[in-house]
Amino acid sequence: MVSIVRSTTAAAFMLAAGVASANAEIKIGVLYPIAGTGAVYGTPAMYGHNMAVDEVNAAGGIMGQKVVSFARDTKLKPAAAAAAAKELITKEGVDVLVGGLSSAVGLAISEVARQEGVVYIATIPKTIQMTTKKLHKHVFRTSSHTDFEGDAIAQIVKKLGKKSVCDIQLDYAYGHDLAAGIEKGLAKHAPNVKKVIDLRSKLGATDYNAQITQILGSGCDVVTSGLWGSHFVNFAQQAKPFGLFDRVTYISGGEIASHEIAGKMGKDYPDNVISNSYELWYDHTFPGHKKFQADLAKRSGKKETAMWPVLAYIGVKFIEAAGNKAGTMDADKFAAALEGMTIKTPVGDRTIDPKTHQANTGQFWGPMVKKSGVDYRVMSPVTWYPATLD
Amino acid sequence: MDMLLSSPSFAFIQVLNSISLGMNLFIIAAGLSLIFGVLRVINFAHGVFYMFGAYIMYTVSKDLQLGFFTGVIAAAVGLSVIAIIVERGLFQWLYDKEHLLQLLLTFAIVLIMGDMAKIIWGTDQLSVSYPEGLGGASNVGFTFYPTYRLMLCVVGPLIFFGLWFLIERTRWGRLTRAATQDMEMLSALGINVPIIYVTIFVIGSALAGVGGSLAAPINSPTPGMDATIIVECFVIVIIGGLGSLWGTFVGALIYGFVFNFGSVIVPNWQDVFAFLLLMAVLLIRPWGLFGKPEQEGH
Amino acid sequence: MSWNISRGVLATCIIVVLLLICVPLTESRYLIDLSTEILVYALFALSLNVIIGFSGNVSFGHAAYFAIGGYANAILLTTYGWPLIFAFPAAVILSGVAAAFVAYFCTRLTDIYFAMLTLAFSMLVWAIAFKWRSVTGGDDGFVGVTVPAFIDTRVPFFYFTLIIVTISCITLWLICHSAFGQSLIAVRENLTRAGFIGVNTRLMRGIAFVIAGTFAGVAGAIFAMYNRGVYTESAFWAESAQVLIMTLLGGMYSFFGPAIGAAALYLLERFSNEYTEYWPTVLGVILLIIVLVLPEGLVGLAKRLKTRFMGGN
Repeated sequence: MVSIVRSTTAAAFMLAAGVASANAEIKIGVLYPIAGTGAVYGTPAMYGHNMAVDEVNAAGGIMGQKVVSFARDTKLKPAAAAAAAKELITKEGVDVLVGGLSSAVGLAISEVARQEGVVYIATIPKTIQMTTKKLHKHVFRTSSHTDFEGDAIAQIVKKLGKKSVCDIQLDYAYGHDLAAGIEKGLAKHAPNVKKVIDLRSKLGATDYNAQITQILGSGCDVVTSGLWGSHFVNFAQQAKPFGLFDRVTYISGGEIASHEIAGKMGKDYPDNVISNSYELWYDHTFPGHKKFQADLAKRSGKKETAMWPVLAYIGVKFIEAAGNKAGTMDADKFAAALEGMTIKTPVGDRTIDPKTHQANTGQFWGPMVKKSGVDYRVMSPVTWYPATLD
Repeated sequence: MDMLLSSPSFAFIQVLNSISLGMNLFIIAAGLSLIFGVLRVINFAHGVFYMFGAYIMYTVSKDLQLGFFTGVIAAAVGLSVIAIIVERGLFQWLYDKEHLLQLLLTFAIVLIMGDMAKIIWGTDQLSVSYPEGLGGASNVGFTFYPTYRLMLCVVGPLIFFGLWFLIERTRWGRLTRAATQDMEMLSALGINVPIIYVTIFVIGSALAGVGGSLAAPINSPTPGMDATIIVECFVIVIIGGLGSLWGTFVGALIYGFVFNFGSVIVPNWQDVFAFLLLMAVLLIRPWGLFGKPEQEGH
Repeated sequence: MSWNISRGVLATCIIVVLLLICVPLTESRYLIDLSTEILVYALFALSLNVIIGFSGNVSFGHAAYFAIGGYANAILLTTYGWPLIFAFPAAVILSGVAAAFVAYFCTRLTDIYFAMLTLAFSMLVWAIAFKWRSVTGGDDGFVGVTVPAFIDTRVPFFYFTLIIVTISCITLWLICHSAFGQSLIAVRENLTRAGFIGVNTRLMRGIAFVIAGTFAGVAGAIFAMYNRGVYTESAFWAESAQVLIMTLLGGMYSFFGPAIGAAALYLLERFSNEYTEYWPTVLGVILLIIVLVLPEGLVGLAKRLKTRFMGGN
């Protein structure tokens, strides 16, 4: 027994000694869900992250120093993400944190960043709280948020001349926030539109018949939705036989226009769906997208690339720009450099608002239509909705 | 709620929703109940078996384009193979050990097979198409209802009848029922009890796979889908009574009605329907509607 | 009531505590953090073992009390601005009360039904945490806990944790090795017989449950301050499963086993995170080993090795 204790202590002290703090490299701590349910998003995100890091290093690194990434799996669990973030800071000595997926994880990492005084750039979490109630000097967000999303949905409702809305959301923070964002948007753009019914499904729900049949029974002409990923796939499959998509237009946030969803659904993708995506592999509206997409295709081995990589990519690009501008990775100076910074990305210019630390990340919105020669649907026409609430 | 009260056809549709959801779940939960009834083991891995069934269906029907029905058969065969490996390789060492250890074994299988699914099928969001001809709606009187769900309402009772016949009316079924009463006596009479155990485990697991494959068009293969389904299965078999086939059937219907009508009337409580039902049963009649009070230390 | 502790075990405990006291001297933030986290989980696992190892029931829902302790402490400290001296005990008492409430119902059942009901209650706690957004922050979590100034930095917080956990361990030890503890073991060994000799088995199991829940609440309250946040995952069944595995890995038939299991599992997970994304498989294999080969956990393994190499006792 005593010998076990002895060797454990020895190991512990060896651990302590092993904490490096080499200064010849720039260290980025990256946190995405790589295993389990979240891997659907985390794995493609890591592609984009790694691609960006390689590009930055090929161009000479940050301040002439090589960039090294330390990746940790958040497992979609906030406490695990917080522990991982802390470990990245205390054990690996990272200079900056990037990533996050779900809102809770993003807020948890943000809290660690605040405590430890390290900058965190949230690349995917959409919770509005991160740049409002829970804002602090070291957190930044480069993804969109639910107010922008809801506003875009409302604008489309108005554009289509719809009269009555059924809203279906998942019963958790994102769903509540998006519902609120849509309400605000409708009040602004289409105050005469009636909200007929508010429907809720639990996160992870697999059966939507109750909601589908209520939509049909309520007589609305448009459905606004925040069902993402597998929720949308199941909803669509269950709604099709009821003929839902022949009766209403379905406008959805949650990026179900991305190729990740459209590609796998193929012929099963329903009609009359309008949705959003941060990036589309086939749309080259913005300069630099063609090259980005080609590089990504080469890296992932597939011509039709996923949407999530670009978000991770943008996070790293901001780190590069801010590091080079500030000339140091000191958190306060780095943060100051990020405020107001503009960079070019494969989906347009991005500027970080100095007050809210939020980037003006817009999205593509459009109807998903069949395309001859391929199984999957594509967005056409593609309209860019910039991130503005004016 | 007002829709329910004002429109009879809407209410009727909700009834259909409830029944079809129940039947969908019965097909899946039947295997769990069977395995517990005979082997006295709660198989946590039932959920991943279901998941594998769904993923196999995807590979066979959508990826390889070999047909929907082929997919169902493939799921049954695939899960049977897995079941034999698991039972002979791991389970058989634990039949006389504490229940806790058996449960943990099944949980270990959940963890390992969950990762295996990730390795084999990746983490993309997949979807499975309806089989030809069953993707539309049928006329059920004064409304139209999805044909596929109606089909499940037929398959459910068929499986029920098949299992019932197997257990109650065949010699093999008689032996199985005897094995649950007194394994030693049966063994002393020269019956090969291990074969019975393996067979039950295989049938139960194959049913999970079939359930997964049949549900795949409406419940797409997703990482983590096993966690959701296992909770629902537990609730159903406990409502009905562990090991009772009738109980599982009725339990599934009850769950279907509670979930569906609950989603209409109190949608904000969807997260807790399953657990509230579970609590209600365990507090009022723990052995379920059709179960029998167990002796201590069983 | 004797102290009932062998010299060897006592010596080891003192050495461990002394080593822990020295941890902050290494000035490694990582090591201090790791030690704090392991202390919390060790207490959490030790508390569960009062139910499993000592009273012979299995709880699938122990995380509920960890979560209640955490949320209560966080809310009282932050939303209501209570000083720690009131908030912490209040949170712990609340966990105990919740455990008493659940125990009242669960102890009517045994075996798998007991376990299922504990699970159902804990998922109800999860659902409340998930949905009561205005109070708990919902699924965004309760982020930003006000930690009192005297433990607001790493090292003081570590010592605070060490003191509380050590006191809790001593208390648990005294309880488990008292006459009450002996009755619990009797209940574990044979429920029916214990009933025949006049032990109120239901009451005993209930008290054990409450004790376990209370100390889980202590662990949770500490963790809430450590993380400066409480998240719904703390009440989810996966958290209950994890602490259950920790208890079993260490060895449920020994007092300190769960603490060792907690440390082992926690370290294993952190290390494997660096090298593989397949932690579930690693965990599954560990479970298989425990179940098939080592049902008495690491402590059981150590005992077996000791008898083999030192020729028995």
